[in-house]
Amino acid sequence: MDCRDAQQKLLESFESTLPADGKRELERHLAACPNCAEFGELLNKIDVHFKEEIIAPRLSPGFRAALQARIDRQPHRLWTHWLPDAAYLAGSGAALLCCVLLLPFSASSVVWVGTVIAAAGYSLQTLLVSSLEEL
Amino acid sequence: MMKDEDVDELLRRRRYESAFGLLLVRYQEKVFRLAFSIVRDAGRAEEATQDIFLKLWKALPFYDGRAALSTWLYTIARNTCYSTYRRESIRTTVPVEGLAEPSRHETLSQHAEIKQLLERLPRVQREVITLFYLEDQSIQDVAQMLDLPQGTVKSHLHRARRALAEMMRA
Repeated sequence: MDCRDAQQKLLESFESTLPADGKRELERHLAACPNCAEFGELLNKIDVHFKEEIIAPRLSPGFRAALQARIDRQPHRLWTHWLPDAAYLAGSGAALLCCVLLLPFSASSVVWVGTVIAAAGYSLQTLLVSSLEEL
Repeated sequence: MMKDEDVDELLRRRRYESAFGLLLVRYQEKVFRLAFSIVRDAGRAEEATQDIFLKLWKALPFYDGRAALSTWLYTIARNTCYSTYRRESIRTTVPVEGLAEPSRHETLSQHAEIKQLLERLPRVQREVITLFYLEDQSIQDVAQMLDLPQGTVKSHLHRARRALAEMMRA
């Protein structure tokens, strides 16, 4: 094992355990090479430093409340998710009412046929939208 | 890696508030630590985390499912931190809030030296090494949070450690 390999193994040893034979070979090299031994000591010192010093800070207890307050201050979305359904329902109702008033058929037949058409249209539209979302 | 199929399902059903609540519970600490590794100040990291989740709240209806939710959220987080804090050219010293007192067996000067040397590393190496220790030394988590291949995370760690050791030798 040369110095380059030894130093690479030293660097890797901080992320994964070295295999036993690789470890023995590295130890033999370090015993004979003061330069790599010093490099290893410095790496150890750096590792100990970071383990002790880099401590995850915690969010303050008021984090959620502050975030919620900021969300509440946001303007409400104009195009809410249920608006297309509501618009479809309102449109269908208006069209049905016009048909009842204008068409020369009995009101119950017009309502029945209109409801079937509106329901079929809604189902088709929902199917189309969900298949587009799948893409 | 966390599985977010339940959140995906809520989003498909357009239940944005429930989806947002779950994402907040699952990711607020991770996003905070990611922000901390970039902005290096607990107060600023918390502000950034609020900005990130506010952006997430606004963007949830437009999530298209092409990337995993966590990947998408971490991208929002990184972009928010970089765009907001790069302009401010903040001092990149390791803040007091994130640091413990020096241990008894090492001198204050040794700790101060390593801290100062860390600031001389390229930004990406500093972020990787900070996040590596914040995330319990998980290469996988760091790779996911920074959207880097695991091999690249390892090579940044090696370069950072080698550079620090060489600077300490000099």
